[in-house]
Amino acid sequence: MMNTVLSRLLPRQIAARFLTGGVFLASILMGGGAFAEQRNGNVYGLPPCVTTTGLQIDSIIKIIFWLTAVVFVVTQGTYIYYLIVYRRRPGVPAHYSHGNNTLEIIWTTAPTVIFLALAIYSNRVWEEIHRPAPDNALTIDVSSYQFGWQMRYPGISGKLAPMDVRKITPENPFGTDPSNPLTSQDVISTDLVIPVGRPVHVLLHSRDVIHSFYVPEFRIYQDCVPGRTIGWVWFQATQTGDFQLACNQLCGTGHYNMKAPIHIMSEKDFQSWITPRQQKNAGTTPSAPTASVAAPSPVKATDLTAPIAGTTL
Amino acid sequence: MSASLTQEGIPSVDAHDGSHHDDHGHGKSGIMHYLWNTDHKMIALQFLWSATFFLLFGGAMALAMRWQLAFPGHPIPVIGHLLPHGVVNDEGAIIPSGYNVLVTMHGTILVFFVAMPLLIGVFGNFLIPLKIGAGDMAFPALNELSYWLFALSGIIMLSSFWVPGGAPGTGWTAYAPLSSVAAYNQTPMGQSLWCAALFVNGLSSITGAVNYITTVITMRAPGMTMFRMPLPVWAIFLTAILLILAIPVLSAAAALIIFDLNFGTTFYRPTGYGQPLLWQHLFWFFGHPEVYILILPAMGLTSEILSVFSRKPVFGYKAMVWAMISIGFLGFIVWGHHMYVSGMNLTLSAAFSVSTMVIAVPSAIKTFNWMGTIWRGSIHYTVPMAFAVSFVSMFVIGGLSGIFMASTPVDLFVHHTYFIVAHFHYVLFGGSMFAIFAAVYFWFPKMSGRMFNNTLGWIHFWMTFVFFNLTFFPMHNLGLGGMMRRIADPTVYDCLKQLQPLNVICTIGAMGLGLATIPFVVNIVWSMRNGPKAPANPWNSTTLEWTVSHPIPHGNFAVTPTVYHGPYEYSVPGLVRDFLPQNEKAPAHVTLEAH
Amino acid sequence: MNNAAYNDSSLFHAPMLAEVSEHDHHAAPPTPPATCKLGMCIFLCSEALLFSGLISAYLVLRESAGSWPPNFGDGIELPPMPKLLTGINTVILVGSSFAFHGAEVAVKKGKSGARWMLLAAMMGATFIGLQCVEWTELYHEGLWFNKGGVYGSTFFTLTGFHGAHVCVGVLLILWCFFLQVTKGTFSPKRHVALDNVGLYWHFVDVVWVFLYTILYLF
Ligand code: HEA
Ligand code: HEA
Ligand code: CUA
Ligand SMILES: [Cu+2]
Repeated sequence: MMNTVLSRLLPRQIAARFLTGGVFLASILMGGGAFAEQRNGNVYGLPPCVTTTGLQIDSIIKIIFWLTAVVFVVTQGTYIYYLIVYRRRPGVPAHYSHGNNTLEIIWTTAPTVIFLALAIYSNRVWEEIHRPAPDNALTIDVSSYQFGWQMRYPGISGKLAPMDVRKITPENPFGTDPSNPLTSQDVISTDLVIPVGRPVHVLLHSRDVIHSFYVPEFRIYQDCVPGRTIGWVWFQATQTGDFQLACNQLCGTGHYNMKAPIHIMSEKDFQSWITPRQQKNAGTTPSAPTASVAAPSPVKATDLTAPIAGTTL
Repeated sequence: MSASLTQEGIPSVDAHDGSHHDDHGHGKSGIMHYLWNTDHKMIALQFLWSATFFLLFGGAMALAMRWQLAFPGHPIPVIGHLLPHGVVNDEGAIIPSGYNVLVTMHGTILVFFVAMPLLIGVFGNFLIPLKIGAGDMAFPALNELSYWLFALSGIIMLSSFWVPGGAPGTGWTAYAPLSSVAAYNQTPMGQSLWCAALFVNGLSSITGAVNYITTVITMRAPGMTMFRMPLPVWAIFLTAILLILAIPVLSAAAALIIFDLNFGTTFYRPTGYGQPLLWQHLFWFFGHPEVYILILPAMGLTSEILSVFSRKPVFGYKAMVWAMISIGFLGFIVWGHHMYVSGMNLTLSAAFSVSTMVIAVPSAIKTFNWMGTIWRGSIHYTVPMAFAVSFVSMFVIGGLSGIFMASTPVDLFVHHTYFIVAHFHYVLFGGSMFAIFAAVYFWFPKMSGRMFNNTLGWIHFWMTFVFFNLTFFPMHNLGLGGMMRRIADPTVYDCLKQLQPLNVICTIGAMGLGLATIPFVVNIVWSMRNGPKAPANPWNSTTLEWTVSHPIPHGNFAVTPTVYHGPYEYSVPGLVRDFLPQNEKAPAHVTLEAH
Repeated sequence: MNNAAYNDSSLFHAPMLAEVSEHDHHAAPPTPPATCKLGMCIFLCSEALLFSGLISAYLVLRESAGSWPPNFGDGIELPPMPKLLTGINTVILVGSSFAFHGAEVAVKKGKSGARWMLLAAMMGATFIGLQCVEWTELYHEGLWFNKGGVYGSTFFTLTGFHGAHVCVGVLLILWCFFLQVTKGTFSPKRHVALDNVGLYWHFVDVVWVFLYTILYLF
């Protein structure tokens, strides 16, 4: 049936088996590889998750993982089966068919339903993650620049000095108002120090180009856009530990190394970290860190998140 | 302007009746003919050789990057010293800014100077006129202009390596204001040239697309209705429409970067009330259709190859066409899925997530129809078929990882990680490149009149298949493990140190993939001259290009063919042969199934 | 040139090229006019998208700047756009579209139409001249590409892009004019190049009406 050239090009049977075997191999890799479990020293899973919202993300990853795994195994299994049983055999001609409309309708509607369900579910979680930060949240101004981070904590009064992104200059890196008494009270830090179990609301700023706030263990990525305040990111840590804040948006030569330490500590440790600093800035004598210092009054998140022009873009 | 303007008074110098004739030894010299010719088949080859050069160049950059990622700070063996100083230090190890340059140029070159010219420049040019039964393109001179604009853009792009400051290191997405403010990127000249190159490259794409669309609409042979066109023609036709609509937006956006860099405008700079996100919207409005520009032709080519070697009509031909049309339409309303976490309005993110999920549906339709095509076929395993078969599997892997990212909360975690890198190499290499390899082998006999070397072909296939998966599969794990894109040294992060073995595996795979490319290049270069002569229709195909024999004369068809039925009539019961060419009427006793 | 038009090593040497020569005796018939016009229309679609990109950039920036002209809080007053002068200019440009149409009608009737072409070109040139005057004035009032933030950036870039298109259009019309005057190229049967220049010219005018509306009137 086929001419000589074609038959000369035909590989040995083995090749066909290898081909299908190869596809199988990929499927096994996929199964073992993308397994969405926490990483415990092995390299095949997600890093530990230390925020409440991260757990929600992990569960949706798991759902999609199993969905796609099933789709993958079923489609590729069928495909490989066809590749084997319908390989050319002498005397067995191909079946003449241009298609089947019923099948087309089925395999159009089924994925549509699945995908829409997935979109709706995803967006519900998305909304949940981004609901306004609770009132008792600790608000921290996170300011990024080429190539580093600075954090600004509320001072002794428990309030962050207001800032204006359009006032950010090299001399006034946070864009705060120098005449405001709150400004000198703010506590500046190069490390992101946060208490466990309390919501933390970060206000993301950039002084030059776009950077991003990325912590894999928090399951959070958010760009810091110059000229804007990104005010919708908050999280609540579930365990103490030391992590790293990474800039994950290409921002220039030093991008690869633009990181900052993160310390999640108990509320008590956190107080003994921040209180002396607050007192120092307030001009009061720094007292030895003790646990008896009262927690700062909660910050009203909404004070600082009024959108500036253009956040709808 | 367009060549149509020059039609008046200046008859175009081509597409005559196909008879050979001497040109009396005067006129342009041979080299001039090579540089300026208007035959679509020659232009296809010009694109082929240029893109192959860029494949080696851009691929070699990827290998350098992989070396740095596996062994950060170690000098690149042997060739490290040969690399330019903006990229490596005195020891021959890649420096961070050099790494950024490599990422940028690798992405840009492989997208704009390899995948696009191969899919559109080579196969669009070669196949459209032959498959629709036309003598050439509608505007042959414009066609050649398109090639030279492409070549010019390549030269501009490469020249950025040698200007003060060197080539840009802002990623192929060139996010502003990094790209648009000299003080931030330190490479204003390189960045301007990058933008200029994309502008010229865009002109090339647009001139090409004008030609393709016009040709398909006006120059089909008698009987070649739209729904009798082979799927590659449909695919490239739709791609050309996407080009017309998407490319100018990139051109405009890139021009604004040039202005910001050089004339002090503040489009993307917040101090003048510019908007950094404006660039991202414009870029991705182009960028997302762009990725479908890179996959639609691949899908079309694959569909045809699967059908030929299964000896079966394409399953659901019309569904295939409608799926491609809907991909084209929907492709323009999903760009925001690249910006879920860019600071864009959160509700907008949610809306884009819905449209992104919807656009996966036509891809699903296509996947199922490919499976339907091989179902109950008589599958012949040849090199092009092996690539086409693997295309489907690789595309499915890449598509399924796309579903993860399409879900907004998941993207909150995986955005800009190696999970994304894995995704797009599965669709771009496992998809577009596999289809390109399949198509190069499949149409090689028609392009050169010779057969390729089969052994080298199989070596190329197996090495590519194995090493491709070895290179890119572990990147899913790297990404889920938290490894960021575009970082020159993953070991600066504690949580990534333990992932380093995976990086080494990827790099080993990449080296193998680089080696795999050698038999490919050797094969096509060598076989073009020395392969055994090919018969006119070595694969027993039905479409019109196989009805002309080598050498295909200028003007292609001595007599314009007439088309009697759809493109894929294989294994029609009641016929002696298992294929019925488009220009042959079915005998009276045979009924063709409607498609 | 060798005579083996398509030899075996063809792909390295110039294969099908032996057939193409400047002295092509059997020149193919020129591409049909309808095809040429279709090509032009497709090209203009992509031009339309180019301007859409620019216009949407303008609208977005204007929307997010709060007020327009924006208030940078530096006390510098930014000049308003000269509506009247440009209004007259708009009339001139639109008028030139009609003039060009006159040329097309004349050619179709078998007349030369060269005067209409010249008129259209002159009107186009006048438009450019007046735009230059306006640019200079705004420059002296403190507005430029690099002054007045996005207000200056968008205005000069958008009008600049359009102005470049007008310049090309004027050159094309002059080219038609010279062809007609020197060679009498266009006749009732052959005028596709003229038609295509017309399509382009009308397109450029329509874009201007949009630009005038959004840049000056609102
Ligand atoms: C050829 C190119 C190509 C193709 C075809 C695709 C296809 C898809 N892409 Fe991809 N994408 C890229 C190239 C491509 N992409 C590139 C280059 C980037 C990165 C750019 C950069 O940042 O540098 C990117 C980035 C990218 C992102 C942004 C990620 C981020 O930066 O955070 C997203 C998010 O939604 C996405 C989604 C998708 C989806 C949903 C599809 C879908 O079309 C896939 C549909 C296919 C399938 C789903 C498989 C087959 C279907 C079935 C077997 C049916 C049944 C399935 C189910 C029921 C689940 N892509
Ligand atoms: C079609 C598109 C395409 C293709 C085919 C490839 C092919 C490859 N890519 Fe590509 N890649 C992109 C498109 C593509 N890539 C894009 C768009 C990006 C994003 C850029 C960005 O972030 O801005 C990217 C980013 C990217 C990264 C992420 C970098 C980072 O974020 O830090 C990595 C990392 O491993 C990588 C690796 C590879 C490898 C190993 C190959 C291999 O397949 C290459 C195999 C090698 C060859 C084919 C060459 C063979 C060469 C020789 C044998 C040497 C001989 C040399 C000479 C004679 C000169 N790519
Ligand atoms: Cu900052 Cu990357
Ligand atoms: Cu996309």
